Amino acid sequence: MKSAVANDHEQGWDFEKAAMPYVDSLYNTAYRMTRNSEDAEDLVQETYLKAYKYYDKFEEGTNFKAWLFKIMKNTFINNYRKKKLTPHKIDFSEIEESYERVIQKNAPDLIKDPESEIFQDMMDADVKRALDSLPHDYKMVVLLADIEGFSYKEIAEILDCPVGTVMSRLYRGRKMLERTLLDYARKYGYIRGGAEPAKMRSRKDDLKGRKKKDEGAEEVEVREPDENEEEILFKEEEDFEFEVADEEDEEFAIE
Amino acid sequence: MGCEDVRRVIYFFLDGSLNDAKLREISRHLDDCPDCGMRARIQKRLRQFIRRRLTPVAAPERFKVRLSRSLRALSYEL
Repeated sequence: MKSAVANDHEQGWDFEKAAMPYVDSLYNTAYRMTRNSEDAEDLVQETYLKAYKYYDKFEEGTNFKAWLFKIMKNTFINNYRKKKLTPHKIDFSEIEESYERVIQKNAPDLIKDPESEIFQDMMDADVKRALDSLPHDYKMVVLLADIEGFSYKEIAEILDCPVGTVMSRLYRGRKMLERTLLDYARKYGYIRGGAEPAKMRSRKDDLKGRKKKDEGAEEVEVREPDENEEEILFKEEEDFEFEVADEEDEEFAIE
Repeated sequence: MGCEDVRRVIYFFLDGSLNDAKLREISRHLDDCPDCGMRARIQKRLRQFIRRRLTPVAAPERFKVRLSRSLRALSYEL
């Protein structure tokens, strides 16, 4: 019979064998979220150490990669809160309007192949900056779906939210990202259109009246809906009856 | 489904995440409606472009070594 210590060591090896194949994926997302390699390394390290400590809570047969991402998401949010950084707030209707204007004005340019004809001169830095301009909730969903290839259901497990919320954030996140890229394209003359970039309003402005300029209010302060507001907005989208092909009613296994 | 409805689900259509009936309905609409068809093409290309430009960043090797060491150290501590 093995000693408890030997079992612990075995668990350590098992964990390492199971978890290390995902380190690049986690690091990539951590890097995009924290925007620098030092913080990304700290975040991934903290995630792995926590995951190791709670490895016995992981249910065999469930999605281990999603479980690791979930721990990383929680760690990121906790650290983020500790630093008291306020997430950006978005007024989505203005994003949508501006997107529509750019699409409509530039349709003839845009139906050409953007890779070869419109965006070829666009810098990778512009794409990164566009991604970084997203509030972290939206950025996380876009990264998980479009870069890491998680399904809506897996993202819902990672973020602890309904699939409808994932879809709503994905819709908005992608739209914001595309809108920002189209703004860059227009600004640097890759497309011709004259649509002005959206001026984003702060929620504080809406609630408390406009701030005086000399108070140092950021011009591009954006807002995202609070929880209750999200419910209302999602409800609107749920009216379209998103029927996801792989959606099942079973409970998510990840704790 | 009208144009407005179709435009709100184009992303999910492009993700292949809609059920078969919706998928067929939207495919038909995109074939018949040049404006929505154009938007779907633009969004598909923008997404391909973003994906290509955001190439994954791999974790540095020295970090992986450090992480493995930390995990092993922890297994002795716990």
